[in-house]
Amino acid sequence: MTVAPLAETPLLTMKNVTKEYRGVAALKDIDFDLRRGEVHALLGENGAGKSTLVKILSGAVTPTRGEVSLEGQRIQIAGPADARRHGIAMVYQETSLVPSLSVAQNLYLGDEKFFNRLRGTYIEAQQLFQSLNFPVDPTAIVQSLGTAKRQMVEIARAVRLKAKIIIFDEPTATLTPEEKHYLFALIDRLRKERVSVIFISHALEEALEISDRITILRDGAHVVTGDAKTFSRETIIRHMVGRSLSNELYGRAADGRTVRRAGEKILSVQNLSMQNVVRNTSFSIFAGQITGIFGLVGSGRTETAKIIAGVTKRDFFHGGEVRLEGRPARYRTPRDAVSDGVVYVTEDRKSEGLFETMSVAENIYVGQISSAGSHGVMTSMSEMRELAASWTKKINVKTLNSDARVIELSGGNQQKVVIAKALVQKPKLVIFDEPTRGVDVGAIAEIHNLIATLADDGLAVIVISSYLPEILSLSDRILVSRQGRIVEELSPGEATSESVMFAAVY
Amino acid sequence: MNPFKNAVDRWLGRGDASIAMPPMDGAFRPNDLLDSAPPIIETPAPDCLAVTSQGVVVSSQRSLFSVDQPRGAPLASFDVEISALAGLPDGGAAVGLIDGRIVFVGGEHGGRTIGASPELTCITALAPARGGALLVANGSASNGPAAWKRDLMEKNASGSVWRIEPAGGARKQLAGNLAYPYGLIEEANSVVVSESWRSALTQFSSDAGGRGEPVLENLPAYPSRLSRGADDAIWLALFAPRRQLVEFVLREDRYRRRMIAEVDADYWIAPCLRAGRAPLAPTQQGGVTQFGLLKPWSPSWSYGLVARLDRAYRPIASLHSRANGRRHGVTSCISLYGRLFFCAKGDGVVASRAYEGLAS
Repeated sequence: MTVAPLAETPLLTMKNVTKEYRGVAALKDIDFDLRRGEVHALLGENGAGKSTLVKILSGAVTPTRGEVSLEGQRIQIAGPADARRHGIAMVYQETSLVPSLSVAQNLYLGDEKFFNRLRGTYIEAQQLFQSLNFPVDPTAIVQSLGTAKRQMVEIARAVRLKAKIIIFDEPTATLTPEEKHYLFALIDRLRKERVSVIFISHALEEALEISDRITILRDGAHVVTGDAKTFSRETIIRHMVGRSLSNELYGRAADGRTVRRAGEKILSVQNLSMQNVVRNTSFSIFAGQITGIFGLVGSGRTETAKIIAGVTKRDFFHGGEVRLEGRPARYRTPRDAVSDGVVYVTEDRKSEGLFETMSVAENIYVGQISSAGSHGVMTSMSEMRELAASWTKKINVKTLNSDARVIELSGGNQQKVVIAKALVQKPKLVIFDEPTRGVDVGAIAEIHNLIATLADDGLAVIVISSYLPEILSLSDRILVSRQGRIVEELSPGEATSESVMFAAVY
Repeated sequence: MNPFKNAVDRWLGRGDASIAMPPMDGAFRPNDLLDSAPPIIETPAPDCLAVTSQGVVVSSQRSLFSVDQPRGAPLASFDVEISALAGLPDGGAAVGLIDGRIVFVGGEHGGRTIGASPELTCITALAPARGGALLVANGSASNGPAAWKRDLMEKNASGSVWRIEPAGGARKQLAGNLAYPYGLIEEANSVVVSESWRSALTQFSSDAGGRGEPVLENLPAYPSRLSRGADDAIWLALFAPRRQLVEFVLREDRYRRRMIAEVDADYWIAPCLRAGRAPLAPTQQGGVTQFGLLKPWSPSWSYGLVARLDRAYRPIASLHSRANGRRHGVTSCISLYGRLFFCAKGDGVVASRAYEGLAS
């Protein structure tokens, strides 16, 4: 149900808002306005700039340029507390509650009275929940609550703070259909109480169903804002993916690139399950080919890859099967997987991929000594230097010498070190998770060439990426993941931005 | 087998107790290529195809028909149903009957019959062998060809492969303990057999007693007949899909025994050649159409699938008839002059289509 927008001064206005990180614009001259009592959906691909925009509003990020006005008055949002004071509250996908405290304690966290009486807090919290018709026990410990109820607590906190604007970041990603229905009823009620809502979601049906207006961002720029009734799924997707840049970097197979034929089946994933993140997913991976896996954030791609590589574990009961070269494989640790020739190049290189304060040589050597062919505890400095020299040359790591610390390298060169650390283990199957995230354009081309060379050499390669052009340009075969499951397989010839995105969101 | 490990696997749903299904992707990526093939003959239960001097011949119940003459009279008819058929190098055909007899039609041995024997009660496939011999697959030692569903549900592995001399009828067992051998093809010094209930192709030496080695395992459907085209392309028909529910029932012994004893076979939780006809069949009704494709609420128990294999028996391409298709239960396929002929036994159709460009 939608309410006709009100012809009045917008509650919130953002003008020419730009946010740059080290000279690279994450948001470029964004104009955005929010009316009183409207639900405004903010849509875009991963990396389109939605999060940066709402982070500016919630005070987590300061804009480089531009102005923000609330009720006609220009404001500066210095931090989250400042945002709360202005009546802007944010409900995160992963809730920001303290799990070990009770619901009521979380509601009043940071705003406790000098003489705090727990019983009084519980009574006030109970009254608040009753007024909102939320079935939440204020004495319950937060970690015992489900996702929907945690979100109710977040919403209640926003209402208690008399928020004029509530920002929902992917609120439905982990909800059951029933919980989703309930959440939509709540948002509808907030709208009737003249609270403005910014709603971020990858589920286009939800955006069309709940919102009054829709704004679409792409590559950090504003594409379109309009009445939700004027949009359809098709027009939204076209606005979301219709990029015109970087065609020279991301050439498609349909434009003449040779597609590699599948070799032996290396990996067969059968009915793999992990809680409600990976849901009964099945697919195969073949040697001598790059298999691209596309999916929106939360579609279970990374989790599936981590299960294959022994980083995380599948469900204990009936978790499905992974077969490597026909034999069942269930790895307790990544080292077991590495010794079988399966390596995972992480999407989070800083915390999972590198020892930042160690040298390039040491990092690469760590990969070597954890592989099957290592000599256990015996290490050799000369072997380490030879190995580092060989790999830095092979994959063109730009560093003064191999003793340079990884933290001193650029993002692209750090990523190359992570890749070298993986390849030194002589894998049969390499899983690249967002291999060019946070990497400059020059290094992207080099990393793409390196990945292509691996497939040409007969290795089975998986590339997980949220960036469609990367998937379309690299892959010999495209798998699309949605809600924890591979739902579509496309050949590069038939894959278009629209067809892949359709499969990812439908 | 370690009984403790078995019990743990059973409890955790792992190992042999896992009910994980291989995915239909890569070479088995679904399409509608079987459904888009124009029909040639519509006849009840077409089962097996062969190339003879009469062209492409199909067996249907008790008769043989020429595919080139869709409305013509039968080429031959028998007193019982046909269960297997093979074209011979001399242009004749060997016909296996459900009572275990093998009858030769045309060619050098035309008119000759090899009588039934206790070892050959379920002839599922025939293939010519070197030296004028005939390879015979006996699907089960305890069930006839019509009771294949019972053989699966009883988890039998009592099939065998024989080499028979047409002249004197002398026979020699080449392999035993096979899980429903349903297709045969001879290689230089070996025989490749499709074992339906193991969802695998097994190769063993042409000498008796040779140990079988899997050449293709973990297929997403139950394989049936194999054939080799003039261009050396190997074709494999797969007659029904594997489903998690069926695999689950297969490891629930008590439930399975009661189902076999008390429920009519048409309503078993088991694969079939054509699902959706019996209104009482469980979990087969309903579905949604997305992008013009029917997505049934439950995975359908019938399907149409033909795979093209390379010389190493690796699948390189496939043709499908999906849940909403009309070419289900493909039990046989052959290629001739660049066309693939297949019979969809479940839907009573023989059809053909060009296969050029299909991962050649």
